[in-house]
Amino acid sequence: MVDLNTISPKNGRNYYIALGLEGSANKLGIGIVKHPIKSQLSSGDNSHQCDAQILSNIRDTYITPPGEGFLPRDTARHHRNWCVRLIKKALKEAGFNDPSNDIDVICFTKGPGMGAPLHSVAIIARTCSLLWDIPLVGVNHCIGHIEMGREITKAENPVVLYVSGGNTQVIAYSENRYRIFGETLDVAIGNCLDRFARTLKIPNHPSPGYNIEQLALKCQNKDKLIELPYTVKGMDLSMSGILAYIDSLAKDLFRGNKQNKLLFDKKTGKQKVTIEDLCYSLQENLFAMLIEITERAMAHVNSSTVLIVGGVGCNVRLQEMMAVMCHDRANGKVFATDDRFCIDNGAMIAQAGLLQFRMGDIVKDLKETIVTQKFRTDEVFVSWREK
Amino acid sequence: MSQEIIDIVQNYLTPNIPITLVSQGAEAVVFTTHVHPYLPQDSNKTGETKYIIKYRPHKKYRHPVIDQQLTKKRTLGESRLLAKLYQIDGLKVPKLIACDQYNGCIWLEFLGSQLPDNNGFSNLKHFLWWNKADPYNNVVKESLLKVGQQIGILHWNDYVHGDLTSSNIVMVQDKLGVNVWNPHLIDFGLGGVSNMVEDKGVDLYVLERAIISTHSAFSDQYVEWIMQGFSQVYEQHGATGEKKLKELLKRFHEVRMRGRKRTMIG
Repeated sequence: MVDLNTISPKNGRNYYIALGLEGSANKLGIGIVKHPIKSQLSSGDNSHQCDAQILSNIRDTYITPPGEGFLPRDTARHHRNWCVRLIKKALKEAGFNDPSNDIDVICFTKGPGMGAPLHSVAIIARTCSLLWDIPLVGVNHCIGHIEMGREITKAENPVVLYVSGGNTQVIAYSENRYRIFGETLDVAIGNCLDRFARTLKIPNHPSPGYNIEQLALKCQNKDKLIELPYTVKGMDLSMSGILAYIDSLAKDLFRGNKQNKLLFDKKTGKQKVTIEDLCYSLQENLFAMLIEITERAMAHVNSSTVLIVGGVGCNVRLQEMMAVMCHDRANGKVFATDDRFCIDNGAMIAQAGLLQFRMGDIVKDLKETIVTQKFRTDEVFVSWREK
Repeated sequence: MSQEIIDIVQNYLTPNIPITLVSQGAEAVVFTTHVHPYLPQDSNKTGETKYIIKYRPHKKYRHPVIDQQLTKKRTLGESRLLAKLYQIDGLKVPKLIACDQYNGCIWLEFLGSQLPDNNGFSNLKHFLWWNKADPYNNVVKESLLKVGQQIGILHWNDYVHGDLTSSNIVMVQDKLGVNVWNPHLIDFGLGGVSNMVEDKGVDLYVLERAIISTHSAFSDQYVEWIMQGFSQVYEQHGATGEKKLKELLKRFHEVRMRGRKRTMIG
């Protein structure tokens, strides 16, 4: 039996307030989430209907120049520089003057992610906790994405496709765990797109993946596709080979290597393929693979709904393809959110952390606030859902 | 189920061949029919023998070029593979009847039955769920050993399945009323010929993961029995078998470690 109302909020209020701190990659996110006490949450599997209100959800992204990725050290410095300003701004937006009275719990990302940025955010969380005397909750980043997606879209028990810069997983819930059905065997999809964007030297603002999507839209001959490896391995996929191959094509294109008959006409030496074509083919190929493994997982667990979360989930083409697949499969439905909740943000950490808090799962000692770069989705015991 | 796909298939097969939908898998739709594609109909037997029609529908979500290539490659690949596998001694796979790779359609022999008390079709997944109350009984043990043996024979002959899950293994009852079940491997859409330890290791890993995700409470023992059956096949072949087995198991453990973001100790 799941009862989310056992722990009462501070000062006899009839709502909970959580502050979420996220900084596992190049985005620093601060979010404040409010949960009213709801009698329906005392029993049953209703954790996707908390009536959560997002009081504030702000984010600052560390953007590097074109052709460069973000390094852990510099990203951590960015987070340290901005955290105080962002937290102040978030508190002001939510209208809180006295955090130690207003906030019930502080939630921070425990992992997975880059070590240095995670660490600097954990230090911020510890400081706030000691300063204001508020309990802490460590949250798995992936669980944060899933719970935020469920709360926003009200999807009860979907197959989750989690696609971002560091993760590519197909997840389904079973017996108190979010189990991974399929995942990438090497690089994540976002990483694959980011690295290709680096080769192309296109801007990292607002995000490399978004810029690839825009380039792909401009592709002139969509009926001609550049053949890329199609590497689905059962429920898993592999993307490093595709990246290496398309990278070599792009480099040949820049160098003007006329020997490559895929890119240049042998006789006239005319260029046959553009950067836009490469982007389009890469997207079509990668997304077709993603949809295929998602469909496999859906068939395996007999589900008809999909929830897309993670940064790459903002991609309209991916959402479109998923919608077509779900339509063809038994009245299926796709749930997706926009960039506010798809891309890493503080509110999602607050949402998942608040669920954990309401189940009584808090950090008892500061020793437990260590962060970890490796933290699988299926390691977390999901106490707030029914078996 | 999407009526659109059923209409397309019915249209392709003409009304002379009535079909019943069985399941919509990830990449194929499976129907049953009582009509054989080319043999004359035996009026006495009509209604008894069933055949499987496996149709790969056009996937609208993917680019037509990718779609055509994949459909043709997988249909033809699966048919060729099944024809070869059917000749291997000891290996149990459905018999191939006909193939039309351009339309993505193959006809197969029908295998399996309904499990008693509404427990669904007799694939390994339902079979294990059906035995949930007494998960470690002898019938389960024997069946899982046989599952392992089947995979062992497959791998020993340098073939891989590519998508081993508990729904892709059909349990066929030995005789009506007898609680002995023979596992048959189905759905070779991602299968192929390979003598690489890598592919075989991945095969085993996929199966292990499928078992863990659908039968989590009992998965340790289940996987152990399957691996036991698997090893038996290799051990029958003396020193070469043992050597190959050792190599394969080593790679299997390596593949397992390869999953991302796994906590590693030491």
